[in-house]
Amino acid sequence: MSAKQKILVIDDDKDFLYATRVILETGGYEVFLAENGKTGVEMCKSVTPDLAIIDMMMETWGEGFSVLSKIRATETGKDTPLFILTAVDLQGPYQSFGPPADFPKVNMVLHKPVKADDLLRYVAEAIGHK
Amino acid sequence: MMNTQKPLFLIIDDEQSLRDGCEQTLEKSGYRVLTAAEGVEGIKIAREGKPDVAFIDLKMPGISGMVVIETLSKDIPDTVLIVITGYATVASAVEATQKGAFDYLPKPFSPDELRAVARRALNHRNLKIETRRLREEKEQMEKGFITFVSHEMRSPLVVIRQYIESLKAITGNRFNKEVADIIGRCSICIQRLERLIEHWLDLSRIENGTFAQKQETLSLSHIIAKCAEEMAPLCEKTAISLEITVPKDQLTIVGDEESLVRVFTNIISNATKYTPPGGKISVSATDDECYVVVSISDTGIGIPHDKIPFIFDPFFRVKGREERHRGSGLGLTYCKKIMDSHCGMICATSKEGEGTTFVLKFPTHFSSTGTASPTPPEIDSYAKLIKDS
Repeated sequence: MSAKQKILVIDDDKDFLYATRVILETGGYEVFLAENGKTGVEMCKSVTPDLAIIDMMMETWGEGFSVLSKIRATETGKDTPLFILTAVDLQGPYQSFGPPADFPKVNMVLHKPVKADDLLRYVAEAIGHK
Repeated sequence: MMNTQKPLFLIIDDEQSLRDGCEQTLEKSGYRVLTAAEGVEGIKIAREGKPDVAFIDLKMPGISGMVVIETLSKDIPDTVLIVITGYATVASAVEATQKGAFDYLPKPFSPDELRAVARRALNHRNLKIETRRLREEKEQMEKGFITFVSHEMRSPLVVIRQYIESLKAITGNRFNKEVADIIGRCSICIQRLERLIEHWLDLSRIENGTFAQKQETLSLSHIIAKCAEEMAPLCEKTAISLEITVPKDQLTIVGDEESLVRVFTNIISNATKYTPPGGKISVSATDDECYVVVSISDTGIGIPHDKIPFIFDPFFRVKGREERHRGSGLGLTYCKKIMDSHCGMICATSKEGEGTTFVLKFPTHFSSTGTASPTPPEIDSYAKLIKDS
């Protein structure tokens, strides 16, 4: 039996991290949590997750974006499937200010809160399920 | 507005005796007084001293009182300006008022008359300042409250919902049905609360003008088709037929697609709540040179006649209704506000037991005539003229 697939979740909201971990663990994944961008980028290098989920709305504006760019810039993270999390429209829906052309590749945009079934399905679609 | 300092008056008049007389009278009433013998000096003193009230003689050597009034009403709008005139003609008083004076005092006047006008001017100034302060405070509070609600109230809700989702994931099929049921009910309640906050925020944003709405040329036919597609599953589920009779690619208006889609889906989904299975919802539309008119009718239970005037009020509900799916209570209020912002109209007619019809009326858009202007006509100067008549 092969080892569990690893998922890294980066979010400064501890509750959200905890709840997401519970969901992902029921899906049979090994879950790693990072409470800030810096730790997140470091863990991404050391853990080399199969997939990372990054909150765009962390404490400092743009932190999520910088984490995303930094992970994409590393050798280990340049092809890792990445999901980003946004709070539902703070001012109009996400589509209305679509990401700029040079935005690093994102595999999926999730809106908080994420339904357990949806989250597990998206993850399975991205990295398969063992 | 409480001033700790005594009120400050400025007298601009070329007559020494009049200046002295005014100064004595006003000082005796406990006011501070500055004086100037002509217009330019008066403007200079006024700009520096920012008096509460300035008395200005219309006829002076050098620049006229009218010019002084015009200048000061722009420079120091909080200072109340009173015209002193030997030629108490209505025409000159009206002109001075238009240029920003609050009142006028015809020569000759008694100390009592002067004091009475001074008191009135001070009251006026205090009210003016107080009104502005309150308005600013109100706007600030509204803005702060919207930010508060959107961040502080929504974040914990999002977390609670996520926790409920994780609970669902943990329990899966292992726990008994009762537990799963309770989790499900909690989830529905939280979602309702979230939707309520969302709708309330939208309404607040529309009210304070921060709700981003586009102004695009749109085809209502396209919007209605989109809504019909969106609502089809719900209608199917509730066994209600949805009939659309709308001309293709016509019905051109100017507005915001996203909010209009919500208006129509709101009304249609409302209709599904009050229409029994087997019923029908029909959407039809016509346009002429002035208006695009859309009607949405259902064969539902209807709204009592005396309740119709209130259905667009926030949180209004017809009592004694068994509702299959409770909404936020703000749906129709939202529709009304969006219609207002499109210079349109929305109204309802209903017969109990037979059904309800909502009629939405939009100004027709013609590419040649440009967009309809929602700006009211200039009434500013007129309002100034009549405000103290």
